[in-house]
Amino acid sequence: MENPYIPFLMRIEDVILETEDRKIKTFVLAFVNEEDRKSFVYVPGQFAEISVFGKGEAPFGMASTPTRPEYLEFSVSTIGVVTGALHNLGKGDIVGVRGPLGNGYPLETFQGKNLLLIGGGFGFSTLRSLTNYILHGPNRTAFGGVTVVYGARKPGLLLYRTDLEAWKERSDISLHLTVDQEADGWKGHVGLVPNVTRSIAPSPKNTFAVVCGPPVMMKYTLPVLKDLGFQDEDILFSLEMRMKCGIGKCGRCNMGSKYVCTDGPVFSQSELTRLTGEAHF
Amino acid sequence: MSLDNAKILEKDQLEGFLEGLLKDNIVFGPTSKGDLLLFDRVESANGISLGRGNTMNSAKDVLFPQTERLFAYRHGEAGVEIDGPSAVKKGFILFGVRPCDARGLILLDKVFGEPLQDPYYGEKRARTVIISMACETPDPKCFCLAIGGGPCSAEGSDLLFLDLGDQYLVKAGSPKGMDLLKNTVFKKANKEVLARADVVEKEAEESMNQAGMGRVGIGETIEKRLEALFNDPIWDDITESCLGCGICTYLCPTCHCFDILDEAGQSAGERIRIWDSCQFPLFTHQASGVNPRPSVKERFRQRIMHKLCYLPQNGNLPGCVGCGRCVTECPVNLDIREVIQKISAREAE
Amino acid sequence: MSPEVHWMSQLSNEIREAARGLLRDGKAQVIIGFEKGSLSLRGRPCFIRNEKDVERLVWNGFCETNVARYLPKRKGKMAIVAKGCDSRALVELIKENQVTRDQLFIIGVPCEGMIDRHRVEAEMGHDAIIEAEEREESLILRTRDSEKILDRKEYLYENCKACTHPIPVIYDVLIGKPNLQSAQKDFSDVETFGDLSPEERWAYLVQEAGKCIRCYACRNACPMCYCPECFVDISKPQWVGKSTELSDTIVFHLLRAFHLAGRCVACGACEQACPMGVDIRKLNRKLEKDVADLFNHEAGCSLDEVAPLATYRVDDPDSFMVEP
Repeated sequence: MENPYIPFLMRIEDVILETEDRKIKTFVLAFVNEEDRKSFVYVPGQFAEISVFGKGEAPFGMASTPTRPEYLEFSVSTIGVVTGALHNLGKGDIVGVRGPLGNGYPLETFQGKNLLLIGGGFGFSTLRSLTNYILHGPNRTAFGGVTVVYGARKPGLLLYRTDLEAWKERSDISLHLTVDQEADGWKGHVGLVPNVTRSIAPSPKNTFAVVCGPPVMMKYTLPVLKDLGFQDEDILFSLEMRMKCGIGKCGRCNMGSKYVCTDGPVFSQSELTRLTGEAHF
Repeated sequence: MSLDNAKILEKDQLEGFLEGLLKDNIVFGPTSKGDLLLFDRVESANGISLGRGNTMNSAKDVLFPQTERLFAYRHGEAGVEIDGPSAVKKGFILFGVRPCDARGLILLDKVFGEPLQDPYYGEKRARTVIISMACETPDPKCFCLAIGGGPCSAEGSDLLFLDLGDQYLVKAGSPKGMDLLKNTVFKKANKEVLARADVVEKEAEESMNQAGMGRVGIGETIEKRLEALFNDPIWDDITESCLGCGICTYLCPTCHCFDILDEAGQSAGERIRIWDSCQFPLFTHQASGVNPRPSVKERFRQRIMHKLCYLPQNGNLPGCVGCGRCVTECPVNLDIREVIQKISAREAE
Repeated sequence: MSPEVHWMSQLSNEIREAARGLLRDGKAQVIIGFEKGSLSLRGRPCFIRNEKDVERLVWNGFCETNVARYLPKRKGKMAIVAKGCDSRALVELIKENQVTRDQLFIIGVPCEGMIDRHRVEAEMGHDAIIEAEEREESLILRTRDSEKILDRKEYLYENCKACTHPIPVIYDVLIGKPNLQSAQKDFSDVETFGDLSPEERWAYLVQEAGKCIRCYACRNACPMCYCPECFVDISKPQWVGKSTELSDTIVFHLLRAFHLAGRCVACGACEQACPMGVDIRKLNRKLEKDVADLFNHEAGCSLDEVAPLATYRVDDPDSFMVEP
């Protein structure tokens, strides 16, 4: 019987320190076995369970885009046992990976539509994956206008600065970066993500809004989007719930009649309103 | 029940039948340990304690052990080597299972079987035979009937034994069971025996209906009521005495939540899974520090919602088989039947 | 279901009277007491806030559970029905600042012990008990086709049989029999166990730990286990594993026993809650004896006595240092 609990091996190729407080690192991983690389087919919005053998496993959203299949990238914030242990690993070390897991962003449905991508802090990982996917060569023409709103507490806490610089240079993406308070040399927006979204006032016409960030940010972004005229079925959230097995068995991520790890983590607001109880912001 | 799928086993043949099973299989059944009845491995026919109430733990422990190794790993020169689980060789016989616990395994089969097969559960399940013992005299704590089961139901069992005093009626509940009935130790039944069995079953059900036993009124309505009352203050009242321990979930034949963790040595170790409970405070505690279920109230409510609302919403059997263990073993006697009655009676605000 | 022929009905009435008065006079916003359970052999805690619910309060041999466990950090004025052991827990909780004395109106009830329901069920061969009638000296059990009369005292929890404080040590009103006999303080069981060889003692502890399913009912039923984050749940560092492997389980019980040293009031709620019949108090009783020997202290007896393990005195025993 095939065993979905056994990870395949990946080697750390590079570790990128993302934030000035040194708490978030992006790990660039290469497949140890060729067959694993060939069979790992994913879409932005999915996640994987990363193992540090002896410490445990934790779920991370795919920060890389499938259009560059050589490596997988995951951004890790050092908080607990597994993330702490990951931060102590470096180039050449071996980790385990189980995935791809979850439903990912509905790329089919996004074809021909405008996209409003709203991310906060660390939750921007999968939106970076999605943005890079959309911007990749021929993919771009399949989608309409792309607006990205991304905020962090301070400029030094923004992730993926190389990507952000590259996106700034492009004319086919509208990038709005924001930090919570004024900062030396900061030329972008100042204010919380929901407020900045409101001030940009993107049109809901033919547009999907995709939101990923801390629960409080998502909670306050929702009414802004509704005020701007977005319908429930056009607002997508990528949710976090504590996850363990990632395959809908251990029960931990049960939310209403759904499992965040298999039915999500991407849910539309209309799906969420139909769920009983704690799924509501 | 008909003469095609039911036979007789004379009571004096039972020991021989069990010894036969023990020869080639690992047999589990109710065993007497101190003041308790426990569902555990038996080494001999007279190690089984049949026909006396139900065991404290359920048969789920065999297929879904509380602590189970997923794999071992070793740091070597080539990186990390992983050793998966070794194959189970012998068959498992779960003997003397009560109809409620057998029905619970139907739900576990679905959880662990779909959409991805859990190989740890699946391997054991594939070589497991379930031989149940009907409940001629249900206990006051039992309410299987109210939740779609029955004290003499063969649902989920391969064979069901029904005690008729001098002999057992043995009914097949599955193709595997039909095959087992071919064993020559089973004799042909007749219409008279079937009629006696019918009477036993009716009396068992009737005794559950008397004096409030088994009358819970669970049905589709409870699903809708629970949905409507999710934010109702009635939950404050219901959950006030709950201790937040894991007894209800651990003894429950259908509860299946687990955690995965690593046990590490110097250069080798193993990844194991262990039972976990939605009643424990850290179950939904997120890395960011947010916990969507911060108190006993939300966690107790989740258990009821998951069992009686969410699972049925997904077209599953409810996550309760009416075994009554949570009712008798809860240290503060929180009674799920009373919870259901309160919810049913409550007008949504 | 069962007829209200409790021989303790007089006590039940007195508790209800007290409760009614307290609610009427606004002296308590809630009465924490006991009510009839949903099955024979069961009682359970209840929270009474209205006069119409006062009738639910009862007193009988099924009022197990130490209701003091609901008090830590609870706000407002409350009345609590307390047996001897419950009252000792109240003393300790007050000393540990988990509740204040003036929040409480304590309805003290001298206790004649709680009935060991698992033992009764075993005695009845696990046959379905339809009715249980408790009398002063006996317990009458009825199954579908039989009746058995048991000696009430014989079927109390072992811990209740050894109870040295059946009469509450603090209370605002005392109902019932104020001159109940208590057992003599006796640690001979600890001494006898201590006389066994290390191998025999280890074998016993291994056997008991093997029964444990890590449900934490013992911890959650204990009035003195009120840490917002239990050591079991701390991952950095991980003090003890959560699996049912022997090393994990035995360390959990050892550590919890040590955390209770000098604080455990011997109420036995842990054993009452345990579904698997683990001899939890084996370790606690050893530590109770040690605390008595080393510090001449018994938990929960006096609001004025300081907790020996939370206090430093110049004359604390130090033979472990100077005479190893």
